[in-house]
Amino acid sequence: MDETVAEFIKRTILKIPMNELITILKAWDFLSENQLQTINFRQRKESVVQHLVWLCEEKQASVNDAALLDIIYTQFHQHQKIWDVFQMSKEPGEDVDLFDMKQFKNSFKKILQRALKNVTVSFRETEENAVWIRIAWGTQYTKPNQYKPTYVVYYSQTPYAFTSSRLRRNAPLLGQALTVASKHHQIVKMDLRSRYLDSLKAIVFKQYNQIFESHNSTTPLQERNLGLDVNMDSRIIHENIVEKERVQQITQETFGDYPQPQLEFAQYKLETKFKSDLNGSILAEREEPLRCLIKFSSPHLLEALKSLAPAGIADAPLSPLLTCIPNKRMNYFKIRDK
Amino acid sequence: MDSYDASESTPRQSTSSRPEDYFIGATFLQKRLESVRKQTSFVPTPPRRKIPHCSLLQEDVDLQKVAFLLHKQWTLYSLTPLYKFSYSNLKEYSRLLNAFIVAEKQKGLAVEVGEDFNIKVIFSTLLGIKGTQRDPEAFLVQGLTLLPKLECSGTILVYCNLLGSSDPSTLAFQVAGTTGACHYSWILSKSQLPSENRESKVLWTGWFCCIFGDSLLETVSEDFTCLPLFLANGTESNTAIIGTWFQKTFDCYFSPLAINAFNLSWMAAMWTACKMDHYVATTEFLWSVPCSPQSLDISYAIHPEDAKALWDSVHKTPGEVTQEEVDLFMDCLYSHFHRHFKIHLSATRLVRVSTSVASAHTDGKIKILCHKYLIGVLAYLTELAIFQIE
Repeated sequence: MDETVAEFIKRTILKIPMNELITILKAWDFLSENQLQTINFRQRKESVVQHLVWLCEEKQASVNDAALLDIIYTQFHQHQKIWDVFQMSKEPGEDVDLFDMKQFKNSFKKILQRALKNVTVSFRETEENAVWIRIAWGTQYTKPNQYKPTYVVYYSQTPYAFTSSRLRRNAPLLGQALTVASKHHQIVKMDLRSRYLDSLKAIVFKQYNQIFESHNSTTPLQERNLGLDVNMDSRIIHENIVEKERVQQITQETFGDYPQPQLEFAQYKLETKFKSDLNGSILAEREEPLRCLIKFSSPHLLEALKSLAPAGIADAPLSPLLTCIPNKRMNYFKIRDK
Repeated sequence: MDSYDASESTPRQSTSSRPEDYFIGATFLQKRLESVRKQTSFVPTPPRRKIPHCSLLQEDVDLQKVAFLLHKQWTLYSLTPLYKFSYSNLKEYSRLLNAFIVAEKQKGLAVEVGEDFNIKVIFSTLLGIKGTQRDPEAFLVQGLTLLPKLECSGTILVYCNLLGSSDPSTLAFQVAGTTGACHYSWILSKSQLPSENRESKVLWTGWFCCIFGDSLLETVSEDFTCLPLFLANGTESNTAIIGTWFQKTFDCYFSPLAINAFNLSWMAAMWTACKMDHYVATTEFLWSVPCSPQSLDISYAIHPEDAKALWDSVHKTPGEVTQEEVDLFMDCLYSHFHRHFKIHLSATRLVRVSTSVASAHTDGKIKILCHKYLIGVLAYLTELAIFQIE
């Protein structure tokens, strides 16, 4: 077995935390049960790793086997990468061919290899007709760099693909390979980016409003209102309660009852003229718009936005610029005056 | 349109005129006494301030020397006046502080092996960082570490930290790869002779200054030196050790200086008002929204020319910034944001303000980017420090 492959396997296994090691190795399915049983997983990590690498060497692991292990590690640690979304489209009037996974894989691999000569492409199919593709890029003259691969998750029944964004030079080539292999005509990058692949899927496939939790009915609304009564004078409450209920209702209509998909940021590039209600003369003569870049960031952005109106920090209904994020499937916006 | 052009031609006159010409009409102490007598509420900040002039830096300061103060993040502290501090004893202070640091580090605090870099401290004065002639001279304390040279020969790796002192008990050795006891003696190879021109790396910097500190200077006696603003860059542990020595030696007291949102908005307005030839950074504000359970941060970056245009349209009084103008400026930004997002930024907490002149964080961290307005920025910070002391 090649030195570089051994080193690559060693580094990949070292990244895996000890509590996940057995699960991942079983998913990899390269070493047999008997071989795994010979290892004492209670030793120090370096000894375990050495033993594993030795077993892999005995079994003559290849680059492709190592790449498969890397894919499985990434599947367990999806949130360590930031994912972009691409949408492909066919020409209007084109026939819808039946998707053939084998043909897709061959075609994809061939296109990349023809262009670059040195490239490692590995595939792993998962449920929901998804295929995970790992590409390690090289050039005509250099071997592929296994430590900076790109991952693509393509859902074959849909025109969407998710890529871990680390592409500069090879982005057009990847786009071309995907489009041609999946028999589409063109590919476009969507303005949507996040660490959470599941949330991106939910937004792109519009699945987020299908998760109904049975206990999440109207009773929480009443419970929340009851909480107000306890500490306050009952006469004061009545004036506010109408307003609070209105706000709650609008928020619920806008955001729904279901848990929101998880995004970390939304970015708005504004180029709009300044119009103030306070004092009409400020910047009245200025023709140019104000150039602003506004970024919202949060561990769970949509939940945070949902809580703004009930907290009184925002008006209800919230601005459509914010509420349209899941609907429009974007979190990068450019806003101009009409 | 710009009123600064007229005043720029007379900067020298304005620096040497009486203290009363400046923005603090009466000292804080006097104001507070007055308000107590009249039983009115005390407004802690003056309603108007002068926009910093760009050429207030005195001519004898070397731009090269102050260049290292820029583009670094400083943590702010306010410092009560130092008792019996003398500028002629700086070398003596260096020696004492070095000894103190060595003693502290040998007290056995948990330090990782290999990270025991000994710091050599140097005191020096910073000429020209002052507002008026009455202000005391600023001085600088730098902690340097002498980089050790590694000698690799076969299996023996000798690692040595030299302080430049000849006392063998202060030398620490680690000899790896050989058996036998490690004892305190020195093994010098040719390339490890302790020479004066060894490369030294600055590990910690702290400087003390006072800009327009007249209100404080008037209230203290001759024995005290007033340098209310202290800026530090380096690890917390070093700052704590050096701070402890100052507190013991000069009977003073450090306290971290936090900048609240009100002052941050003043800083934003004043720095936007400064005239700049070219902008090196966008004007950016960062708000933290107090919503639960998730935290939300909103960053609002506006092109510096647009920010300046907005400010010029708001600004009415030449040469000065008033409270109304600051409020109006911030309100314009809030209303522009509200028009798009329906979120009331006034209900959130302003955490950070960043312009081409400087950037400030509410935790008391500041980074100065423009040497022209260095004195202006420090003047405001000195005012905040003095207010905290009193």
